[in-house]
Order: sequence, then C-alpha cells, then structure tokens
Amino acid sequence: MTKRKLFFRMITASLIRRRSRMLAALLAVAVGATILSGLVTIYYDVPRQMGAQFRGYGANLILLPSGEGADFDLDAMRRAADVIPASELVGAAPFRYETVSIHNQPVVAAGTEFAGVQAASPYWHVSGTWPDASGELLLGQETARLLGLKPGETLSVVFRPEGSDAASRGTELVMTVSGILETGGSEEEYAYLSLEDLASLTGEDGTLSVAEFSVSAAQDRLRNYAETIQTNVQGVSARLVKRVAQSESTVLTKLQALVFLVTAVVLVLTMICVATTMTAVVTERRKEIGLRKALGASDSSIVWEFMGEGLLLGCAGGALGAGLGFAFAQAVSVNVFNSSIAFQPLLLPLTVLVSVVVTGCACLLPVRSATEVDPALVLKGE
Amino acid sequence: MSLLELKDVSKIYGTLKALDSVSLTVDNGEWVAIMGPSGSGKSTMMNIIGCMDKPTSGQVLLDGRDIARESAKNLTRIRRDKIGLIFQQFHLVNYLTAVENVMTAQYYHSMPDEKEALEALDRVGLADRARHLPSQLSGGEQQRVCIARALINYPEIVLADEPTGNLDEANENIVLDLFRQLHRDGTTLIVVTHDPEVGEVAQRTVTLEHGVIRRDAKNERFGA
Amino acid sequence: MFFRMIRGAFVRQKGKMAMIALTIALGASLATAMLNVMLDVGDKVNQELKTYGANITVVPKQDAVLEDLYEIEGGDTAAYLREGELGRIKTIFWAFNIVDFSPFLTASAELDGGETVPLVGTWFHHHLETPAGEALDTGVQNLRSWWDITEGEWLDEQAPQSGNAVMLGASLAQRIGAAAGDTLRIRTRNGTEKLTVLGVYEGGGEEDDQIYAPLHLVQRLSGLEGKVSRVEVSALTTPDNELAEKAAKDPSSLTASQYETWYCTAYVSSICYQIQEVITDSIASPVRQVADSEGAILEKTELLMILITILSLAGSALGISNLVTASVMERGAEIGLLKAIGAQDGAVTALVLSEVLLTGLFGAVAGYFAGFGFAQIIGQTVFGSAIDMKPMVIPLVAALVTVVTLAGSVPAVGMLVRLHPAEVLHGR
Repeated sequence: MTKRKLFFRMITASLIRRRSRMLAALLAVAVGATILSGLVTIYYDVPRQMGAQFRGYGANLILLPSGEGADFDLDAMRRAADVIPASELVGAAPFRYETVSIHNQPVVAAGTEFAGVQAASPYWHVSGTWPDASGELLLGQETARLLGLKPGETLSVVFRPEGSDAASRGTELVMTVSGILETGGSEEEYAYLSLEDLASLTGEDGTLSVAEFSVSAAQDRLRNYAETIQTNVQGVSARLVKRVAQSESTVLTKLQALVFLVTAVVLVLTMICVATTMTAVVTERRKEIGLRKALGASDSSIVWEFMGEGLLLGCAGGALGAGLGFAFAQAVSVNVFNSSIAFQPLLLPLTVLVSVVVTGCACLLPVRSATEVDPALVLKGE
Repeated sequence: MSLLELKDVSKIYGTLKALDSVSLTVDNGEWVAIMGPSGSGKSTMMNIIGCMDKPTSGQVLLDGRDIARESAKNLTRIRRDKIGLIFQQFHLVNYLTAVENVMTAQYYHSMPDEKEALEALDRVGLADRARHLPSQLSGGEQQRVCIARALINYPEIVLADEPTGNLDEANENIVLDLFRQLHRDGTTLIVVTHDPEVGEVAQRTVTLEHGVIRRDAKNERFGA
Repeated sequence: MFFRMIRGAFVRQKGKMAMIALTIALGASLATAMLNVMLDVGDKVNQELKTYGANITVVPKQDAVLEDLYEIEGGDTAAYLREGELGRIKTIFWAFNIVDFSPFLTASAELDGGETVPLVGTWFHHHLETPAGEALDTGVQNLRSWWDITEGEWLDEQAPQSGNAVMLGASLAQRIGAAAGDTLRIRTRNGTEKLTVLGVYEGGGEEDDQIYAPLHLVQRLSGLEGKVSRVEVSALTTPDNELAEKAAKDPSSLTASQYETWYCTAYVSSICYQIQEVITDSIASPVRQVADSEGAILEKTELLMILITILSLAGSALGISNLVTASVMERGAEIGLLKAIGAQDGAVTALVLSEVLLTGLFGAVAGYFAGFGFAQIIGQTVFGSAIDMKPMVIPLVAALVTVVTLAGSVPAVGMLVRLHPAEVLHGR
C-alpha cells in the first residue's frame, strides 16, 4: 500500500467512522454553501424578476409619427417591435384616435389591439369583459357615466369626416359595450374599439396616433432601442416614458442594492459561523494531533491530513449546498414571482471553491496551533 | 557501548526541580523499570527519553547523539525512527481499525505495509481482531494494538508509560508476557510504573524519589 | 456550589465559552439584522415608489373632464374643488400616510404666434399649514420627481421674485424658441399677461407641450379664484386584498366590523373614501397605473425578504446548535467525573444547560446590537435613512436563541445522561 492510499484511507475513515460529528460539520458547510449559492442566484435573478413586476406600470417606450403626414402604420410598429428582442418586449399596443359621436355627444374613439393593450397596460381594470369580437367596444368609466351606458347595451357610433358639413349623416356602426374601463387616468374618457372596426367606420386605414411599448429593460438599453428605432424605422419617432423608465431605474437600483447588501451581510456572517464550527470540530481533536506527533508525525504531515479532511468536507458540503441553494432559489422564485429561474452552471464550482477555501482556512488555524502543542502534555493521562 | 546515557540531567519547572542531576545508563537489550511514587519525576524522565521534552541542563545521549541539543523538528524525526511508545491510556485513533492504527506508525516512519502490520498484530495475538475499531476491543486488546504499533518500526527503545495501569490482572499478565518475549528478541525496554509487580519482572529497577535516583539495582528474581 | 462550578467553567474555559458566545452572537446579529430590515422594508420601498408620483386623483363630482372632451372653457357648468379645503386632506384618519399632494387648474393661453397651449396652474413648492397645526411643504417638485430641469431652475412660489414666473415644457420651449429668462406674452380670456420663463423641464409626456404656472396666477387669469379642477395625492398605501376590493365597489355593503377594519387600514380605497369625506363634492379615485403596481412590488419585495430571512435564520440556528452540540459533547470526561462523584442526571443537565444559556445570553445581547448596526448600514446605504428599531425583534431573537441553544444541547445532554462514568474515566 502506498503512502497516498493510506492518506486517503485515514481521511475517509475519519469522515465515515466519526459519522455524527462529521455530519454536523458537513451540515454546517452545506448550510453555508446553500446560503451562498441560493442568495447569489437570487441576487442575479432579482433585477430580471423585479423588472417584470415593474412592467405593471405599463408602457415605458412610446412611438409617435415623426411628423405631419408621416406614414406610421401597423407595419411600422411591427418593424419597430422587431428591434427589441421578443424576450424583453412585454407588450405593444397601437392607438389611433378619431373623434366620433355617440348619442350625439362627441367622444374620442381609440382604435387598438386589445391583446397588446392587456399585455402593455396590466393596470387597466375592466368590469364586464374585454372586447374579443368585431362590433364590441370598451367604454371609459367617465364616458360611460356621462352617456349612461352599461355593459351589454348597444349604441351607435357615428363618424363624420373632418370638414364635412354638419348636416351630413356620416357613417354609422352599431356596437355593443362589452366592458367599462377604470384606470383613474385620462383613459376613462375614451371609447376603445378594434383597429379594424375603426377602419371600417372611417373608411380608411389611417395612421396610428401613438404606439405604446412595455419593454423589460433598463433605462440605458431602452434609450438604445429608441435610437435604433428612430434611425431604422421611417416615419417613427421613439421616446421614453420618463416617468416610468426613470422611476423604474431609481427603485430597481435600490432594490438590487438592498438584496446585494443583505446577501453580503448574510454571507459574511454565515461564513464566520461555518468557520467557527470547523474550528470547534478541529480543536476537539487536539489529543489526536498530540498522539500523531508522539508517533513521529511531522507538523506538515499533520496539517495536510487535517486539511485533506477539511477540503473533502468543503467539496462535499459545497456541492451539496450548491444543489440545495439552487432548490431554495427556485422555491423563492416560484413562490414570489411565479416563474422559474435558470441554473447558473458557473455557480457550482464557485460555491465549491468558496466552501473549500472557508473550511480550509477554518481548519488551518486550529491545526497549526495544535501542532505547536507539546505532545507530552496532550497525552498526559487526560 | 550503552544505547542511552543521561548525564547530570536536570529539569526545572519554575522553582520545582522535577529532575535533579540524574545520571543513568541503559545498555542495548536491557529491560529497565523506572519506579517511584507520584511526583518523583518518572514522567519527566520518560518525556525526556521519549524526545517529547528537553532537559534544562545536562546531556542525553541516544546512540551517542546528544538529543538535548536537537531542534523540535529533529526530535520528532529521532522519536519516529528510534522510539516506540506505549501509553497508559492506549491512545489509539478511535476511528481507525486496529490494523490501520498500526499502519499509522508505518506511515509516519516510512511506507505503510498492511501485511507487515497484520503480522505485528499476529505477534500480539490479535490477528482475528485486526479489522475492529478500538471501541470494539477490550482494554487489554487495545493495549496490545498499542504494543504492536510501538514495535512495527523496529525501534531501538520501546518506552512504556504505566502500560498496565488501566488493565485487569489477566490482561496485565498478557502484556507482561509480551514484554518478556520482546526482551528475549533483544529489544531495549524502558517501563515507567509505580506498580511493584510490574517493576519486579524487569531486569533492573531504577527508583526515583524527589527527582533523584534513590536505588538502581539488578532484580534477583529476573528470569525466574 | 452550583454557581461556583458555573463560574469556574466560564473563567477557566474562557476560550471555549468565548467561541460559543461568538457563534451565538453571529447568529443573533444575523437574525436581528434580517428581521429589522424585513419588518421595515415595506415602508422603505413604499417611500421609494413615491417617485412614480400620485396614486390618487381627486376631481369634482361633476367632472371637469367635460372641458377636455367638449373643449368648452370655463362657464358655469363646470364644477371645481375649493383650494381652501385642501388642507383637510392632512386631517383624515390616514393623514400620516399622505406624502404629497398638489392641486391643478388648467386654462388655455394663446401665444404670440397664435398657437394655443394649455396653461397649468399648480403648487410647485407650497408651504401649507394644516388645520391640525402641522406644516407641510408639498407640490409638483415632489410629485414630478422624474422631470429633468434642462434650463433654469425649479419655480418656487415662496420666493419673492416669482411674480409672473412660469416653467415651460421642453418641446414647447424648443418650438417657440424660448429659453430660461425670456419673457413671454400670452393672451387669455381676461387679457394679456407677461410671463417670465424661470425654467424649462423635460417630463417625457404631454406636459412637455404645456406651460406650468403658479396656481394663483392661473386662477387670476381665468377668473376662478380659490378654485382647482383636480388634486393629485401621493399616499403610502397597503396592497389591496379582497376586503379592499369589495369596499372599493361599495363601502355600504360591508358589515360594521369589516367596515371598521377597512376604514382603519391604509388601503388605497379607504384613503380615497376618507378624502371624499373631507373635500366637498369630490370623487377620489386610485390611479390604477401607480396603485396596482405599487401593491404588487411591495408584496413581492416583502415576500422575498421574508424568505431570505427564513433562510438566514435557519442558517444561524444550525450554526449555533452545531457548535453547542460539539462543545457539550467535548466535555464528556468532565461530566463523567461529576457523575462518578455522585451527581444526578438532573444536576448535570442543569449545570450544562445553565452554562450554555448564560453564554447564549451574552452572545445574544452582543449579537442584537451588532445586528442592529448591520441593519442601519443596510438602511443608510440603500435607502439613505435609518431602519426603525422594531421592539418585537427583541423577543423574537431571544426566543430564537433560547430555542436553538436548547435544541442544540438536547442530543449532547442525552448522550451525557447515558454516559457511564467508568467508561469515561478509563479513557474510552
């Protein structure tokens, strides 16, 4: 049997036969590693997950026709949307405003795509249902109150082209109110219908007045997208919604700083905790260290044996903790954000490395001090 | 030539003279018992001979080399190469099996050799207990593992500190029989004890009292 | 004798006891820091979310929306709120949660070039004495935190020079070629007026094409002294739940006790309700864009912190109990000796537990203060304000440390009780 083989045999025997004590140490290392990998995963994932929450504030990028007579249609909006990666584009909603009259009252009608609005403006509260068929209409709460309309009622929408004489009857479309919109903002003063209905009412496709994009990206990247759209898509000028974009970066930066600091504090304290546990585990074996010295072991070989044990513990605990930590981060993500997170492969070696370094350092100090002890004193009949 | 020679060795702890100008010569192959009551300086002498402590003054010649002047590192090497230790508390590594405990001494000395370690256990009559952990062995068995470990590297001196102090009479006899065997094989044996029965079976008895040698005599009954 | 033995253990085993105390202190500080931060994070993030501006708007019952839709100006048909009543907003049950509010009155002004632009009157930096005797500085300077002042400075109506000072939206300023310091002539229904441009702002919305002026100026120009058409309120709110949603639809559908719970919780709907109570003929409604997201983000942040706290509590609990177990087991020989000289199991257990608990007490006290320090570091660095000291953290940490130390001692004590003195003393 070679020296190396016995070296590993001694280390594994120490780990296996001193099961309960080593399990305790392993547990300590694993818990430390779990906290490390779990928190680091969360730290990296929080901006993404929280960013998604902030999309509740709605559009942060709007497209406007770049000037009078600019050709801003659905195609232009689609081309602009293509600039933004699909994973970051939460929702895109086109709007085309025309003044119509309902019950002889002038009302601003907005043609839009309801699927896009629902994604881009999750804060729209609709009592009744969202329009999902042609001929259905979503009425702002304020307008509905003024006109005395409720969901399910029908009305006729009349459009008179601008400049046409007041006596002309214009075109008329009979529609059903599918729901009443409540937002607490100016949206409550409008009536919303699909772009197709508005086109058939006005008899022309027309240009969009505005398109709202909700993009899950930081302010800087958002600005880049706006510039790219501006240069690549003709007839469109892109602007950030400052209120949303700037506030988001302010708050998100703070949240990330919060998680960062919390992670740092928890990690430092946990690592010290792991280190004291390892120190205690090694310290209680002073007698054994004395015996090995009495048998003629050199200081360095004792240090290596104990370090070997510590490193093995660090590896095992680190690997275990990396797995548990990912499970924890996953649980947090599912519970808090209802979405899963991606496994960071780099985190596994990192966690193992940190665990090994921490346990190694934690073992080294007490082992070194133990080797300085006079073997005779340690062995003396205690 | 003598294997071990202590010349005017003193060890002082503060104001306490644990050893006071002690001189002692042990020849190759001799079996010496060091006796005396508690506090007589036995343990101090044992630690100095076992290279675990250095005298305050005087010379300790082991194989003609003065170990009193060696560094701690060299002392460790000398202990490893020349001395086999047997303790009252056995001091086995409790998570290693009997044979692994024996191999530990080989490991620090040169090369672990399981076959040789098993043979050593066979010599102390424990061939069938080689794979047991210390907690599964009786006190006597543990002490025999300790002896096998002390012998494995063919030390020039086997140094035993109260080897029978924790043993019952039956086991004490087994251990003493092993010592007789060792002596016949030509091993130099130094046994520190306060038990007259253990002292009497040795070839020569040195009695310490208050740090000085009171009596140093051949045993009449030796070999009887 | 019992106390002498404990004292002996402390004095003579200084190193070991210090180690246990250190570990307990670490665990306790971790728990304290995390609990304090967790309990305060809601308030802190809520404050941060105020950068999104108002979450409640108050309008007259007969809506001034008519003005927008029909482009009719003034007239007696439109209803207004009374500026004099605004102070009452700071007297409602949840007055403390009202962070900012500002009135708005919009008129239109014709520029020299013939273009008509909205002239918005509001408070910029208004000093308000509430009926309750409190002072509050509020206005759009707080409610429009995202505005960039591209030229000049914020208007301050409290400053003496600001007679006819206004602020211009960036797009408008660019279009008419106006800069800070320029004088602007406008025509309103009540005649011509000269305005001084004090600053130019960029807000990224329709306000960039408007003129913002002090409220009293717009009131004077439109002949509507003492009247405002809209109030924006920024309030700290609790995320809505089922009760709040039910109440928002119709407060009278609640039972008496439900009503009380609802009224005394800072739901956005109950704050709206309370504002309507104090402002004559008003409708206060939540700005869904702000109120909804705020609730969601607060909830997520708090849940996230709770889970991190649980993880770190579990971590420190394991750390403590591990070390306590190790250090008690280490003393097998000493305990065996005590048993050999006749100590009963109960006495031995009491001795060991008191030692450990006493150590735990030192550790926990030190850890509490250290942890509070950590919480302050987090609070100051992230939010620039101190984390509130929550008294409930003290019993929580005390209970945690006690339970964990005792739990950590249980396996060790069990082992000590089973210990045979003979075995220990014979070095096995």
